[in-house]
Amino acid sequence: MQTNQFQLKTGNILADRAHIDMPLLSAFFIIFLISGIAMFSASNGNSNFVIDHSINIAVSIVAMTIAAQLSPISYERIAPWLYFLCLMLLIMVLVFGETRNNATRWLNLGITFQPSELMKIAMPLMIARYIATGTLPPTNISIFISLLIVLLPTAMILLQPDLGTSILIAFSGLVVVFLSGIKKRYLFTGLLLFIASLPFIWRNIHPFQQKRVLTFLDPGQDPLGAGYHIIQSKIAIGSGGLFGKGWMKGTQGQLDFLPERTTDFVFSILAEEFGLIGVVIIVIVYLFIVGRGLLIAINSQDLFSRLVASSISLTFFIYVFVNIGMTTGILPVVGVPLPLISKGGTSSVTLMIGLGILMSIRTHKRLISK
Amino acid sequence: MEFKSPNTQEVEKEVFLSRILFCSIAILILATIIITRLFFLMVIESDQYKLRSLNNTIRMQSLPASRGLIYDRNKNVIANNQPIFQLEMIPEQVLDIDTSLEQLADLDLIKKNNIDNIKQRIDKNLQFKSIVLRRNLSEREVAVFANNRINFKGIDIKSRLSRHYPKGEIFSHALGYVGSISSGDYSRFDPSFYTGKEQIGKTSIERNYEPYLRGKPGNQKLLVNVRGRIMERIDQNPFLPGNNLILTIDSELQEAAYKAMGKQKGAVVILDASNGEILVMLSSPSFDPNKLSFGLTQKEFNTLSKNKNKPLFNRAIAGQYPPGSTIKPMIALGALEMGIIDPDVFMPCEGRFFLPNYSRPFNDWSTHGAVNVVRAIQASCDVYFYNIANEMGIDKMSYFLKQFNLGASTQVDIDSEKNGVMPDKEWKKNNFTSRENQTWYKGETVIAGIGQGYMLVTPLQLALATAIIANKGTAHKPHMLKAIEYTNSGKIQYLESESIDYINYIDDKNWNLIHEGMEAVVNERRGTAYGIFPANSSIAGKTGSSQVFSIDKRSSNEVPEELRDHGLFIGFAPIDKPEIIVSIIVENGGGGRVAAAPVAEKIFASYLEGSETNNAN
Repeated sequence: MQTNQFQLKTGNILADRAHIDMPLLSAFFIIFLISGIAMFSASNGNSNFVIDHSINIAVSIVAMTIAAQLSPISYERIAPWLYFLCLMLLIMVLVFGETRNNATRWLNLGITFQPSELMKIAMPLMIARYIATGTLPPTNISIFISLLIVLLPTAMILLQPDLGTSILIAFSGLVVVFLSGIKKRYLFTGLLLFIASLPFIWRNIHPFQQKRVLTFLDPGQDPLGAGYHIIQSKIAIGSGGLFGKGWMKGTQGQLDFLPERTTDFVFSILAEEFGLIGVVIIVIVYLFIVGRGLLIAINSQDLFSRLVASSISLTFFIYVFVNIGMTTGILPVVGVPLPLISKGGTSSVTLMIGLGILMSIRTHKRLISK
Repeated sequence: MEFKSPNTQEVEKEVFLSRILFCSIAILILATIIITRLFFLMVIESDQYKLRSLNNTIRMQSLPASRGLIYDRNKNVIANNQPIFQLEMIPEQVLDIDTSLEQLADLDLIKKNNIDNIKQRIDKNLQFKSIVLRRNLSEREVAVFANNRINFKGIDIKSRLSRHYPKGEIFSHALGYVGSISSGDYSRFDPSFYTGKEQIGKTSIERNYEPYLRGKPGNQKLLVNVRGRIMERIDQNPFLPGNNLILTIDSELQEAAYKAMGKQKGAVVILDASNGEILVMLSSPSFDPNKLSFGLTQKEFNTLSKNKNKPLFNRAIAGQYPPGSTIKPMIALGALEMGIIDPDVFMPCEGRFFLPNYSRPFNDWSTHGAVNVVRAIQASCDVYFYNIANEMGIDKMSYFLKQFNLGASTQVDIDSEKNGVMPDKEWKKNNFTSRENQTWYKGETVIAGIGQGYMLVTPLQLALATAIIANKGTAHKPHMLKAIEYTNSGKIQYLESESIDYINYIDDKNWNLIHEGMEAVVNERRGTAYGIFPANSSIAGKTGSSQVFSIDKRSSNEVPEELRDHGLFIGFAPIDKPEIIVSIIVENGGGGRVAAAPVAEKIFASYLEGSETNNAN
């Protein structure tokens, strides 16, 4: 069988019992180490900032560990509930969400959080469950319903407005439809429909989002305003050269020329201080995580797990691609953080829960196989 | 959950695997795009970005040199530098210039009606260059701005050294003033000396010795953060301060002259007889040079430059006046030398002189009776000199007087000096257009004998001529710069002035006759300045009145002020060994005796007081 060569060996028994995938965990530690180094530099050597960040990391590792304990069956079971809960919360955000910086993304229910973050987990679970239940390749009706499942929350998040998150959530859902074996001509039609609807989308997105796209096309037209981020980021990355300026020695970062350098533009700091060699290593570690995720997907025994695992892995890659793409000026600035390195409590936690689900799929043997 | 046959599962898995394969290839392609992009930015274009990163953080800031100080001959500071606060803007850093200017006006930091003017200047200015919005802010205004600084990106208060003249208008014509650098100034000097500077010498000493005074700007390389805050100084070339100048001016005497002139219009020049050093250069009315160094508005400047009393005009070197009777000692000397007159022969003066075939008389201001050369100088007898002039002829007279440097630049070391006029037949031919006017008339020679007509001299020329008389033919070129104190070495370089034999063939006894006549002016009854100076002063002088308007009545009180005669006085003291030379003109003063001689008296008194204190020390 051709799949045999991708077969995963049973790992460390202790780790398997704890439902932890050691290769993934090692990769996380490398990434978190890089994250700590980057945060120390980006905060101009503020150790309190790094301690806060470490607490976030610790919380997200705990969240991952808990997520890994639940079996894929349980995930399949709770998927619709989770999805509809998220949908409700998103409606509540639209009705009485909290507004910060002109964006209504937050909901205050005792604790303040972003329901769209939760949707990042709910979406692949829900769509995978829906597709896996039906026959494959999916019928026209189930494709239509799948699209509805995907586009409803996407549209609501787009209204908040949060372009970055809505792209990631739409992708995590649509990729499942793609993997389910949808006919190529549907893909084609979908692509054409998407292109045709671009003018409509353009008219309905927020002016500042329009500006971001325009700025992306020509950052020089507004060098002190919207184009400033891109220009300064490119200067930081480009001036890093092959070997970088050295840790804490990047002038773009240390002298505050680079904005949002603990969040969306942390990659630029890393590039400035550690050079091409440093960032290529980071990219390789990311590719390792994605590859490991896909391997887990291939090796999982049922369709639901396979779809969930590959959706999480591919979405993770899209995170990396969009973030590096926007910091290097090949994609518009849509506000996607660099996964597990950028500061941001909820986004690391949801990412790690997703990766925890990967570990769950890897370590839980399903009884109903073959 | 419905059950699927193993077969269906196999098909599902195969479809899934092919799609995963597709995704994996897509991932590899996207990853390659990223790596390629990074390679492009960080290797191929890296140098460009390294440069831009440096440009972000490195600021070259010029350090304007402090302007050299100016001392008087006794090392009293008469021009120094004072820190002032000024409001400056770098246009390209300001987000909304219109709003910012409005807000500044609301805080009373700039005037509302000045906004348009500022905007025009901003349009002309380079966008990255700092532009001054307001000079000389008070401490309160500095505090007001500091409280609101956060609202004004690209606008800040800078402290700068500005030229300051502690004595204000007393030295304004001697020193000149500094002002904002105009495009015309850049053509005068190398702009590289003026980076970060706003002031340049505009007139007089400040202009002429600009290359010594300006110094050499330094610069510093600064590491700045995004808000322009200086994080570190990487490199510094300190500026070289301008060299200090020590002038020949005696500030005590200058002040005495200033007080003596009071509100009268005119000029005072005092020379050191032994070396041509200008001890006093005063032109009245004057102006406050401090106001000019802060930069006047166009309106203020117009008021100053269009004032009918011409306060900006340096009468001492550029005022051209008929010398009047002050020319008489020199004409007498020429007549003696040419044998036209005998010093022992008395000539009658009946108050009028007639040219043959000419019915109109040439009037004397008084009837003098019988006078010889000494008495004629003493009492300023016009008839005596009408006769001399008529016999000498204009060409000889002109040639002789030119040897006293009259009608020619003295080449003093400040700008804007005027030549005056020493007319002769050739001159008239060249300077008039119609044939009738080109002809020289005998009557013109006659009035030239008493320093009227076309003849024009400056107060400084008269002073030099007096010095030549006092020293019997030799004198030093008048000059204002005594020494340069080099700030880098601390060395003082004194300037040697050359002694010139202006006229060297005159018989000593003829010189003495002239001196005798001039002493009689001051010390003997019927002398035109008799009784004004203390009795038996060792002072030789000559008064003069030059006609502004040809009227027969020369009495002053009935004539409107602007038509009254100019009063002149030249003199030197002591007579045997001259130390100082004075030359004074009081415009519309009504005559030398009433207007100019009293000024001279006060100055001599102050000089004697000064030298007595010096001797006592």
